[in-house]
Parts: sequence; structure tokens; C-alpha cells
Amino acid sequence: MELFLQTLLNGLLQSGIYALVASGLALAVGVVGIVNFAHGEFLMIGAFLAWALSAYLGVDPLISLPFAALAVFGVGALTYRVSIRHVLLAPELNQMLLTFGLGILLQNVALMWLGGNTRTVTTPYQGSSLSLGDLSVGGPKAVAFGFAVAILAGLYAVLYRTTLGRQMRAVAQNRRGSQLIGIDVDRVYLIAFAVSCALAAVAGVLVAVLLFASPTVGLVFALKAFAIIVMAGLGNLTGVLWASVVLGVSEALVQTYVPGGGGWSDAVFFLLIFATLVFRSFRGAR
Amino acid sequence: MKKMLLTGVLLALSGAGAVKVGVLLPLTGAGSVSGQAARSGYLLALDEINRAGGVLGKPLEVEFADDGSSPAKAVPEFVKLVTVEKVDFMAGGVSSATSIAISGPAKQYNTFMAWIGAAAVPVEDAFADHPYFFHYHPWSYYNFEAILGYFKTLKTQKKAKNIAIAYEDGPFGSAGIADTVAAFKKAGFNVVMTEKFKTGSGNFGPIVSKAKAAKPDIFYWVGYDTDALPLATEIKQQNLQLGLLYGTPPSWPVGFEKNKLSDNVAGLSLWLPASPQAESRKFVAAYKKKFGTVTEEYFAPLAYVNLKTLAAAINKAGSTDKDKVAAELARTNTPTPFGPLTFSKSNKTQYQGFKAGNWLHFQFLGDDRVPVFPIRFAQKPMVWGK
Repeated sequence: MELFLQTLLNGLLQSGIYALVASGLALAVGVVGIVNFAHGEFLMIGAFLAWALSAYLGVDPLISLPFAALAVFGVGALTYRVSIRHVLLAPELNQMLLTFGLGILLQNVALMWLGGNTRTVTTPYQGSSLSLGDLSVGGPKAVAFGFAVAILAGLYAVLYRTTLGRQMRAVAQNRRGSQLIGIDVDRVYLIAFAVSCALAAVAGVLVAVLLFASPTVGLVFALKAFAIIVMAGLGNLTGVLWASVVLGVSEALVQTYVPGGGGWSDAVFFLLIFATLVFRSFRGAR
Repeated sequence: MKKMLLTGVLLALSGAGAVKVGVLLPLTGAGSVSGQAARSGYLLALDEINRAGGVLGKPLEVEFADDGSSPAKAVPEFVKLVTVEKVDFMAGGVSSATSIAISGPAKQYNTFMAWIGAAAVPVEDAFADHPYFFHYHPWSYYNFEAILGYFKTLKTQKKAKNIAIAYEDGPFGSAGIADTVAAFKKAGFNVVMTEKFKTGSGNFGPIVSKAKAAKPDIFYWVGYDTDALPLATEIKQQNLQLGLLYGTPPSWPVGFEKNKLSDNVAGLSLWLPASPQAESRKFVAAYKKKFGTVTEEYFAPLAYVNLKTLAAAINKAGSTDKDKVAAELARTNTPTPFGPLTFSKSNKTQYQGFKAGNWLHFQFLGDDRVPVFPIRFAQKPMVWGK
């Protein structure tokens, strides 16, 4: 029973990181309508910023978090201006090719500039944990989970309680109609895309604390984030947390109770995507 | 006469006729930590060789190529070095996957290969019948032999009995895992857990929970540098009580030794800057003089030894004739930072350099990697966690 409860807890804590990565991606898909295959690379930039500030200036990653978010917000805005806005009316395949290429470019620039080395961040709280009887809750993962909940709640509040949020929802529903009523669609897209990148950076900072920074660190999490937004329904922010929990707990259960389950963790999320899509199509047909 | 003299001088100045060694390394990509370290080792050796008069009376030339840690890139780079650059000898080679990929062209062109890495047994199979393949790095079964020897000592001295194994599910971790488990059992250990994981996922929560239930004395993991910190973090967070956490990644994350979570984590290395051999001290001093730092990566001294011994064999052979150079290299008996180097048969290849006895076991103690076994090289007593 103790192993089962710890497994559930492991899955729940892991889902916090997944939700953090997926929330930004869900915003880009939901508002801008673009599947950003470079999302993992914006996460990587956040991770490296946290590492660099920690290694060279001794800044704790949690303190560097707002700076990393702001910096990557700027990178995201620039990326939107230079590239994304030019393909928004292009076929989806062109959009995907652009973001995919952007991801490869960023990854290779990082490889050439920083090399393939894995970098780690050192903090006094990395190994901290809270004991609940015989169960243990990892401190940084619990913080990541808390961040995910707070960010998703904040995003929800912005979308449903502010003028900018209403504009975002309007633009997401009908781009041309929004233009007709005087919304600066381009500005809204820029903000949404840049915020999406900033959220990836926030996830990157926490990933640097929990795991490591490397040019390829974003790939694993971007794939999981895609699975989550498909499960949640494209653009559905509120579903992101639940989908993340389903993915995290499913992986933990498979890893613990299926023989050789550690090798199946990638298969778990593909299976969940498959099951979700089949279920959706079945429900749609009725 | 003057014309002939002038031609001779121009020929010498142009470097025509100089011995060329092609070096294929992963300078970018996943294996770049080892590849870059090896490149530094080659550059240091090249300096020393040319300062001492070069090879066959001329400066030695080295042509580097980057295999990008990818077999698909390694093959054209290898072929280019052999056919376009027309190198006399090939050196380098870190990754097993890239070495397998180039085994075809290596045999096709009957290339002389002084190879520093590629420890996987499939590489040994691929080059088993190649007459000019000199392998410096121990094969993986020698690595395991060293690990098993150390663990047997822990069994005797620390009453270590239960081993939990976590291995990455790619070829590096998975190949031979059944043999590993069988060998541990044969040596009298209880293998209480054998779990695979996705390298780089950082998701060690469930594996550590399972290990906690299995109560191991030693947690043995076979993975990459990306797995080191997440695993150590999870073990600490779940308060898994271990005698020893022992890993065998090809390289460790940059700055891992400065992280408190690395304390007492143990691993395997062919060499450490603190190695006591005189040749090692000489290498460290020369390296520091050239690069201003000290490397922790054993691929640097391995590449250094590789080029120095190859150059010595060419000089002794008096020509670049492959058979003569192979005969001289086969007779190598020289002190190195790893101990004496001689070549003898391995399970399948003719010329194998370092073997199980060259491995050192170290622990991260304080902010350093400190040799703890074999006892004759130990600089501090090993810290056993139970």
C-alpha cells in the first residue's frame, strides 16, 4: 500500500512539471493557433539562463526566474515579429515547418555555442523533501506543481477577467471579426506568443533545478506537452492540469507495476493520445 | 644541382611526404564531452612529437574531423579522410555506434586504425578480422570485470549483498544486461531490482520507490550524464538508505562535483588527475601548461597516449608501411598515465591495449573525484553509507 501511495504521489509531482511546460504551449495553440515545435527550445533557453545566472553570478534560480521569463518574453516577441506573424495565414504545414526549423536552429546554436555538456545547478533545497508518514514529497517538485497550478489559475483569470484576456479569446474565436471590432490582432498574437515562450522559460528554470540544462533538454518535455494539449483538447487551458495528472500518474503506475515499465514511459503518452483521439472521434460520431 | 636543392627545400616546406594522421572524434553532439577532451589530448601530443623532431624527420600532421556523435555523419567524414585527405593512419573514435558504422569502409580501404574508444562488444565483433585495428580502451566486459571485482571487495568488507540495477533502455545500458545480472548472481549477490529507464527523462521517482521497497546495499546505474543529478536528487528526497550509489556514465555533468547531492556517489574512470603514476603527473603538468586548466576526462590522456605511441611506432618502423608500423606498435611497452601499455589479444581482436586492471573506482568526496579503489591507488577511505 505504501508503494502504491508513493507511486501516486510520484506521478502527481511529475505532472506539475508537465503542466508547466504544457500551459505555455496550450496558450500558443489556443490563442495564436500555431503549433510551436520550438516550445522545448524556449524551455532550454530558460534552463540555460538559470544555469548561467547561478554559475557566474551565484543567483538562486528562483530569484532568476522572473528575469528569465522576461528575457524569453523578449525573445518570443522578437521571434513572432521576425518569423511567426508571416506564416499565420499560410497553410498549417508551413507553420509547422517554420517552428520545427526554428527549434532545430536554436538547438544547434546552443550546441555550437555551449557544447553538448550537461550543466547542473546547485541549490541548498534540491534534495529537500517533506515526509508524510512513510511517504516523501520532493520539495522542488512540489514547488513546480504549485507553480503550475498558480500559472494555470493566473492564465485563466487573465483570459476571463481582463480586457486583454477577452481580446485573446475573441481573436482565438474569430480573427477577422476581432479586427472588424477594432482589436489589434497582431498585438494580441504577439503578447500571447511571447507569454507562451515566457511560460516555457519558467518551466525551463525549474527543470534546471530538478534535472539539468543541456541543448536537448526541451525535447522530452515538448513531446509530453504535445500529448497533454491533445488530451486536454487544443487550446483548453483548464484541461491541461488534469491531462498532466493523468499522464504523470499513468507513467508512474506503468513504471512501478509493469515489468520493464521504465522503457514504456514514451509508449504511455502515445497510447493516451491514441485513446483520447479515438474516444473523441467516437463521441463526435454520436 | 641548385634546382634539385631548391625543389627539395620547397618539398620539405610544403610538407609533402609528411605523415598524416586522420582523427575522427565527436566534437559536437552527445559525445562531445569526451570528443573535445580527446582533441585536447591529441593537440598536446602533437606539440610534443613535433618539438621532438616529428615523425620520419618531418613534422607530423593531424587532420581532425567531427563525426557529430552520429553514425550517419561519421561514415562520410571517415571516407573523406581516407580517400580525399589521403591520411596514412586513422586515430580517434569515441562512440561505439559510429565505430560500427565505419567498420565497413575501414575494411574496404584496409585502413590502419589506432582506436581510443568504442567499448561495446559489437565493435569488437565488427573489427575481429581487421589486421590493423589497435584498440586502446578496455572492452565493456573488462569494465564490468573491474566493477565486479570492486563489488566483491564490498561484499567481503562491508557485507554488501543486495544490488539494485537501473539501466537506460538504449544500446549502452541494455546490451549485456542479462549477462551482468547473471554475473552478479554467480558472484553471490542478490539482484533485488532490475529496471530500465528513459535516459534524460529525469523521471526516477517510481524506480527509487521500487528500490526503497527492495532494500539494496548497492544501487548500480548504467546511464548518461543527464541522469546523474535527477537520480541522486530522487534518492535523497525519498531517503533511500544505500551503502553505495555507483554509476558508469561516459562523462559526468559539468559541475556535478560541486553539488552536495554528488557526495559519496561512486564511479569508474580509467584515469584521474590525482592518479599517482609519474606519467600521469607529467601529463597533468604538460596539460596545465598548454591549456591553463586540468581536465577530469580520461579521454584526454588516452588520446595523448594514442598519438604518442603511434608516432613512436612509425619512427621505429622507419616508414609508413602498415605491416611494419603494426609490428612495431604491437611491440609497444611503455609507461602511460594509466599504467604500462602493451598490446595483447582480447576475446576477438588481435591488439588490445588497456584491460580491467587499468580501471580506477572513485567517489565524489568534497568537491573532487577521489580514487578509493584499488587500495594501492586509494587516496581516501571509501565512504560506505550504511
